Amino acid sequence: MLNIDVIKVAELINRHVAGANAVAFLPEDTKKLDGSVTVEASKIFSVVEFLKTNSELPFNSLHVISGVDYLDHMEVCYMLTHYDPASPRDLILKVQLTDRVSPALDSIVRLFAAANFQEREVYDMFGIRFNNHPDLRRILCPDDWQGWPLRKDYVAQKDYNGMAVYPDSKMNFDDREFIVRQDMIKKAQQAKAQ
Amino acid sequence: MQTRWDIGEPEKPTINIETEQLKSELLTLNMGPQHPATHGVLRIEIWTDSEIVAHAIPHLGYLHRCMEKHSENLDFRGVIPFVDRLDYLASMSMEWTYVAAVEKMLGTEVPRRAELLRILTAELQRIGSHLMAFGTYALDLGAFSPFLYAFEEREKILRLFEEVSGARLLYNYIWVGGVWNDWTTEQLSRVSTFCDTMEEEAKKYHELVSLNKIFVQRTANVGVYSLQDCLDYGASGPVLRGSGLNWDLRKNVPYSLYPEFDFDVPVGTGELGQVGDCWNRYYVRMREVVESIKIIRQVLTKLEPGPVMGKVPKIIKLPKGEIYLRHECPRGELAFHLVSEGDAKQPYRLKVKSPCFTHVSMLPRVAPGQMIADFVATVGSIDIVLGEVDR
Amino acid sequence: MSTAVQDTNSFKEYFRGLFNGISTTVKGMWITFRYVWAVKPVSIEYPEVREVLPERARMRLFNDAQNCISCTQCAMACPVDCIYIASEKLPEGTEIKKTSNGQAIRLKLTQFTIDTALCCYCGLCTTVCPTECLTHSHDYEFSQYTIDGMKYDYLAADVIAWRDRIVKA
Repeated sequence: MLNIDVIKVAELINRHVAGANAVAFLPEDTKKLDGSVTVEASKIFSVVEFLKTNSELPFNSLHVISGVDYLDHMEVCYMLTHYDPASPRDLILKVQLTDRVSPALDSIVRLFAAANFQEREVYDMFGIRFNNHPDLRRILCPDDWQGWPLRKDYVAQKDYNGMAVYPDSKMNFDDREFIVRQDMIKKAQQAKAQ
Repeated sequence: MQTRWDIGEPEKPTINIETEQLKSELLTLNMGPQHPATHGVLRIEIWTDSEIVAHAIPHLGYLHRCMEKHSENLDFRGVIPFVDRLDYLASMSMEWTYVAAVEKMLGTEVPRRAELLRILTAELQRIGSHLMAFGTYALDLGAFSPFLYAFEEREKILRLFEEVSGARLLYNYIWVGGVWNDWTTEQLSRVSTFCDTMEEEAKKYHELVSLNKIFVQRTANVGVYSLQDCLDYGASGPVLRGSGLNWDLRKNVPYSLYPEFDFDVPVGTGELGQVGDCWNRYYVRMREVVESIKIIRQVLTKLEPGPVMGKVPKIIKLPKGEIYLRHECPRGELAFHLVSEGDAKQPYRLKVKSPCFTHVSMLPRVAPGQMIADFVATVGSIDIVLGEVDR
Repeated sequence: MSTAVQDTNSFKEYFRGLFNGISTTVKGMWITFRYVWAVKPVSIEYPEVREVLPERARMRLFNDAQNCISCTQCAMACPVDCIYIASEKLPEGTEIKKTSNGQAIRLKLTQFTIDTALCCYCGLCTTVCPTECLTHSHDYEFSQYTIDGMKYDYLAADVIAWRDRIVKA
């Protein structure tokens, strides 16, 4: 992350977007880790709109939307960037979602066309619906796939369109047995160490 | 607020002329998944009105290998071979980006020679990748021999990489803390002779393809992305530079030892056609090859004997936190969003920002109104690798 | 193809375009034509002529079972889990052998199988091997009729017999 003072960005957002409730996170070791700004999930559209259009710290491009599942909540990270040789900068903007059953966010496709595919990917992998998205379909998995693969509690479905997922005939059982055996060895070693 | 017509699937228009009872509708045509011009397994659903494309919808996922999910179960060193397989034509650059992210979180110091060797390999890889782009682009447009000439030169690079790392495409050469093997003086002298021949070859390519009237007619003023489009879609690399923005991470946000090097950033100027068209994107790539040669020559003069591997703990454990790190790769800006739960051997989340994924999403923007053959030229000019798109 | 339309606007432009087209095509044809006699072929006729592989080439894995101490580090480092090792304790009173670089073999290796169909040839297993018994050989022609045939048991007699063929010279 480049040339950005997250505390200043959070102040700016709080001053101009009502109810955004921006909180800056600055890690202890800024050389190693990146800071971020977390905002209220319901205000994401107005926050991104503000960041795009303001004159003080504008961001003219959206790089990527990345989701992270922390089991007790899910995070959606918007990587905003400013393509300007004079003052390059980028920002990690986060929202947190606690609802795991039907999480939803406002789409920002109307602000950045890049969000179209990126939001589809987040929907595909985490099941987060984006309101007002023009074409919210799965993008990498098949359209009728069940479950959200990148969630930490994901279990692959057993049956897909009458085809077995992970059929016994295609499985490498040696591999599986080996892993079980390795686990046993590890446990035995740990017991020995204690 | 403006609404953009090109995002999402529009209604399929049907024209019904009642007087003559003529019904005309759009023809749906599948380009791909197995199609030589899509450079992999990209499927594009095209609605055509005779030869004119009315709408193009990319369908991705045919090469989806769950790389991001896999990497959550691998230790930090074990991810490198998987990162290789993202953009299999520029594995060195992919590795470097991932390793740089891990190193930054770990706080490792990399020896100077290793850092220079990384620049050397990354720039050689850039040449190799651009040669591939050049060859296949000419092939898409119906010229076969440039493909063979490009491969002849690319083969020399691959042979060097094979000697130094042991593999031709998926190297696993750049490691956390340095590089695996050192280059011998004999190999470095071969790099220097390669630079000389490559410069001559680049001139030949320009005579053969770049300035050829047929090629110019096929590519100039075709598939124009305005600068605003590129920013909107988050494009980067030669696509962004072809559209006229002087932006290169190596120059604007220098990482590694790039500030020590003297090179130019080629930008599309619209010498033939207009800024942002296929020809300018192509020409930016070809000029980047020459710039890479400049960098390699400087690396060769700077190289001094020394260690190639820094001090790294045997088991890598990263502090709790996250990082978003960008590098300039041949196809654009690759970035990794690496999240680590403290004291874990595996990444908690590894998100790949792939430039090709972004560029594929730009295809529906220019497709309407193009001829099918021009659309093929556009797909070729953004130079996608499907391994990186689908991940 | 708007350039073509612009070019035909005037006679001068038309003929300039025509001349440009012919001259650049001839130039390109000349470059290609030179390859008929002036450039030597670079391709090799594969099955008859073989390229000499570089020293570090990473081809099929080979484990020299006599030197293996069953430490399972290779299996731990493998990102695709394609190495299967099993070992048991040596019966008491047996003489403890040493590997070629002097490490004691304290366990009896009962299984060492590599599923070559899974292997991604990344080389991580060979770098962690403490006795350097696991190496990449230079054998790259090992197609099989069934996928099970890709599982190589390095304790089997036939693989040990093949050793001379596949291990690096």
